[in-house]
Amino acid sequence: MHFEGTADIGAPRERVWAFVTDPEKVSRCGPDVQSVAVSDATHFKVVARAGVGPIRTTFTLDVVFTELRAPEHAAVRARGQAPGSAVEMTNTFELADAGPGRTTMRWASDVTVSGMIASVGARLMQGAADKLTQQVFACIKEQLEAPAAATR
Amino acid sequence: MAVEIGGIGHSVQRKEDARFIRGRGNYVDDVKLPGMVYLDIVRSPYAHARIVKIDTSKALAIPGVLAVITGKDLVPLKLEWMPTLMGDKQMVLPTDTVMYQAQEVAAVVATERYIAADGVAAVEVEYEPLPVVVDPIKALLPDAPVIREDRAQKNNQIWHWEAGDKAGTDKAFRESDVVVKQDIYIPRIVVASIETCGMVAQFDKIDGQLTVWMTTQAPHAIRTVIALVAGHLGLAEHKIRVISPDIGGGFGGKVPVYPGYVLTIGASVLTGLPVKWIEDRSENIQADSFARDYHITAELAAKKDGTMRALRVKTVADHGAFDAAANPSKFPAGLFGIVTGSYPFEKAFVEVDGVYTNKPPGGIAYRCSFRVTEAAFAIERLVDILALELKRDPADLRLQNFIPPQAFPFMSTLGWEYDSGNYAGALKLAMDKIGYAALRREQAEKRKRGELMGIGISSFTEIVGAGPSKHFDILGLKMFGSCEIRVHPTGKATVRLGVKSQGQGHETTFGQIVAEELGLPVADIEVEEGDTDTAPYGLGTYASRSTPVAGAATAVAARKIREKGKLIAAHLLEASPDDIEWKDYKYQVKGVPAKSKTMAEVAFAAYTNHPQGVEAGLEAVDYYDPPNLTFPFGSYICVVDIDKGTGEVKVRRFFAVDDCGTIINPMIVEGQIHGGLTMGLAPALFEEINYDKDGNIQGGTFMDYLLPTAMETPSWETAKTTTPSPHHPIGAKGVGESATVGAPAAIANAVVDALAHLGVRHIDIPITPWKVQRILKEKGVAE
Amino acid sequence: MRVQMTVNGTTKEADVEPRLLLVHLIRENLGLTGTHIGCDTTSCGACTVLLDGRPVKSCTVFAVQADGRSVSTVEGLEQGGVLHAVQEGFTKEHGLQCGFCTPGMMMTSVALLERNAAPTELQIRQAISGNLCRCTGYVNIVKAIQYAGTKLRETKAEREPAAAGRA
Repeated sequence: MHFEGTADIGAPRERVWAFVTDPEKVSRCGPDVQSVAVSDATHFKVVARAGVGPIRTTFTLDVVFTELRAPEHAAVRARGQAPGSAVEMTNTFELADAGPGRTTMRWASDVTVSGMIASVGARLMQGAADKLTQQVFACIKEQLEAPAAATR
Repeated sequence: MAVEIGGIGHSVQRKEDARFIRGRGNYVDDVKLPGMVYLDIVRSPYAHARIVKIDTSKALAIPGVLAVITGKDLVPLKLEWMPTLMGDKQMVLPTDTVMYQAQEVAAVVATERYIAADGVAAVEVEYEPLPVVVDPIKALLPDAPVIREDRAQKNNQIWHWEAGDKAGTDKAFRESDVVVKQDIYIPRIVVASIETCGMVAQFDKIDGQLTVWMTTQAPHAIRTVIALVAGHLGLAEHKIRVISPDIGGGFGGKVPVYPGYVLTIGASVLTGLPVKWIEDRSENIQADSFARDYHITAELAAKKDGTMRALRVKTVADHGAFDAAANPSKFPAGLFGIVTGSYPFEKAFVEVDGVYTNKPPGGIAYRCSFRVTEAAFAIERLVDILALELKRDPADLRLQNFIPPQAFPFMSTLGWEYDSGNYAGALKLAMDKIGYAALRREQAEKRKRGELMGIGISSFTEIVGAGPSKHFDILGLKMFGSCEIRVHPTGKATVRLGVKSQGQGHETTFGQIVAEELGLPVADIEVEEGDTDTAPYGLGTYASRSTPVAGAATAVAARKIREKGKLIAAHLLEASPDDIEWKDYKYQVKGVPAKSKTMAEVAFAAYTNHPQGVEAGLEAVDYYDPPNLTFPFGSYICVVDIDKGTGEVKVRRFFAVDDCGTIINPMIVEGQIHGGLTMGLAPALFEEINYDKDGNIQGGTFMDYLLPTAMETPSWETAKTTTPSPHHPIGAKGVGESATVGAPAAIANAVVDALAHLGVRHIDIPITPWKVQRILKEKGVAE
Repeated sequence: MRVQMTVNGTTKEADVEPRLLLVHLIRENLGLTGTHIGCDTTSCGACTVLLDGRPVKSCTVFAVQADGRSVSTVEGLEQGGVLHAVQEGFTKEHGLQCGFCTPGMMMTSVALLERNAAPTELQIRQAISGNLCRCTGYVNIVKAIQYAGTKLRETKAEREPAAAGRA
């Protein structure tokens, strides 16, 4: 599945960049995240619960930043396993200045889901993934625009 | 007398019912042994991936989990691969790469069923996804990823099979007035019998005896395969007992050797405990043998007066990641060569290419008679397309072309000798019973009002009873039929067979054959099958072969007994054996009916008063090598109405005329036809197994894979003609799969017929409301 | 957890995990293997039993949910050596082949005839639409239920002739 979008964020580009490349911060916007463990500057592990329709399961995701060109471009790849299911995701972010204190973020996401979730949840998959993606990026925007974001 | 005997032709009530209606069947999951443990399977979510790591520690830490078996563990036992029935090999567990979604990756053995499932959820497997191939046409392109690295041939083609005269066919096509061509895709389906597959394996370390209870349609073949595959582990055929108890539906799905069976036996050998494995429905749908998945391009050449002359068919057969179809070994495309159907084509050429894809293996598990479902669908669709092209009535076109009754035995241009048939008789009866002329008039009226009504015909010829030893074998084992009969002193008989019923009623019907031949009441005859310790060697029940092959063996064995009985009767009646005849179910002195002996009296004498020079006892065994296959046939007519709003196809009426030769039990034959028709309706309108481009099965449970319920299934109407097989001892041909072979084309033809006036020529099955609605919208008639 | 229930008229007790399905309690703990498991999505009905007289799919009921209630399975249909009319109908009309869906199908039929003594063919088909059969094509199952319905009505009429005559 492929998703893409543009978000207009009321925060300066440097802060947006810092947020989306910080595993702890950006994982807060993931669905039902249970834990985040950082291995090094670009590798981390996330445990999160996700599902479609009647199948909800816990994924252990290996996440790695594959490209980092501050403050304009980042690419991250996540590979997750769960009993009977698996997920592969590659996301890219392009950040551009949109005036004082504003950033335009263009993002693209390629998601492949395998296993029980993709089979049993096949009919609901597109809709559920769509909704999830919207939620994640709305959350990123909200976190960045919140007045006390820097201190959280 | 005949009624008490309950021989051939009587609708004797089934003996097996007594236990089933009381819930006292003995299915594999009902088997419970002291100390029994449970096996469950970890399966791959990916269609193609390298296994990076398998971490079994969390699973092993669960109290009650006894062992976790991975591919690595099987390597020293040389069990990680096993041979398939088609000369290929298949992974039991992967050591390196998984080849299809839901493939077995590891097995967990635990003290309780639920704990085994907990163990499966706790095994952590890390995968590295690889490119997936799901399109068999693309799989044949030169740049396609190679799925089977283990083979010397580095491409995805498994085999090429062809039959017929290519040059002659091409010439006939060039010389013909009319050629119709159609691409036909028959999608993958799964048979989903209500009981899933399973096994209880019990290995006794002390005496080396292995006993397995298994959902198998061919217990002896399994015993031999176990001995060959695991012989090096100390399993010897005389110390292996395979018991096929009551089976909750087979339909071909319980013929293959699934990795789960091998793992269960392995686990029992490993632990020394009895091990039970029962698969879930999801596993059954997602991993077990599929059926169909044939991409067909079919062409028919005819004269403009409608005489069909030549047939050319090219097929790409999607076989999944391993060629594990259970075909007779010389026939990788099964009996697809029956594609000339009920018509005397002068020339035909058929070719099939088997292809590997990243999908589960299999090919013939859905009541298909070894690909006859595909062949019959192709030819009967093509005939309707020709009728449309020539603006001819489809019944009329068929009647013009049928092989006439006097032409039998008929040698088809693809090399099959059809034993007997009366195709016009069957079609005419069907037309009469359903009121064909009136239906066509009704259709014309409705068409004027914009209502969509269709009439579809399918006049199929089946080919069953595999098979003569000259051409047929599975893994080298010849496909004879076998029967052993023993008559006891008190006039009762025990019959043992090398076939195995999964609902077809053998305990009753085979008893009826013996009853007819020996004049013993069917209630006095006990039929046993399925236990390799007692039953004579046989290749089991599938492809409608039991009556043609084992039924013949039964009649022949009974006749051997009758011949010996004649000597005893002569002795008792103080007459010469030449003066004894078998009449009215008794031995009689010719011309003196009062001087007679029943078989029961003869049986008693066989043990108490046998003539000198004749062995005591009264038993016989026969291994029957059929001289030919048998060719049941039929004509089905289906009437449909299409809802212009929803696109739903409603089967208003379906009339099935079947001819299976001699009918042993009319009630049971009727039941086989009802069930077969329903398994023809299902793929025609509801069932389909699809994969997305990543090899994910779309659905994979009964929520998405739709079996017809009592609401979708019409009230089937049936009639029979009887054209006995000239070479079969009782003239019977077999009937188990005919209806599944014939029905889909009748339904598809009816739907296309309803829409033909709008320019529709073909719709691939399943003909779902969504497909029809799209067509209605396109043609501007949707409501 | 301790549960107690009436199964085919007899009180039964068991100590079970909360997650134990009723169908497993019936088959494994109580040894009544006539009730079968055919799927994992509540779709096939092979596990149908009567819970307080109502047909339920026992694969989708926890054993603890049946605590204090009455369960009827196929094993309870034959009484005193006499087959239930439904059992007789299934045999006489060849309403079964492999027998695997049969117990569930019969329990649904018993419940149907108890609430509707003379169902039409459509009503019968609707009632059994939650029970999948792969072997019979349903035609003879419908006939079996019609046979049973007729027999039950006749038996009732014989037992209560006075009722027929009352105003």
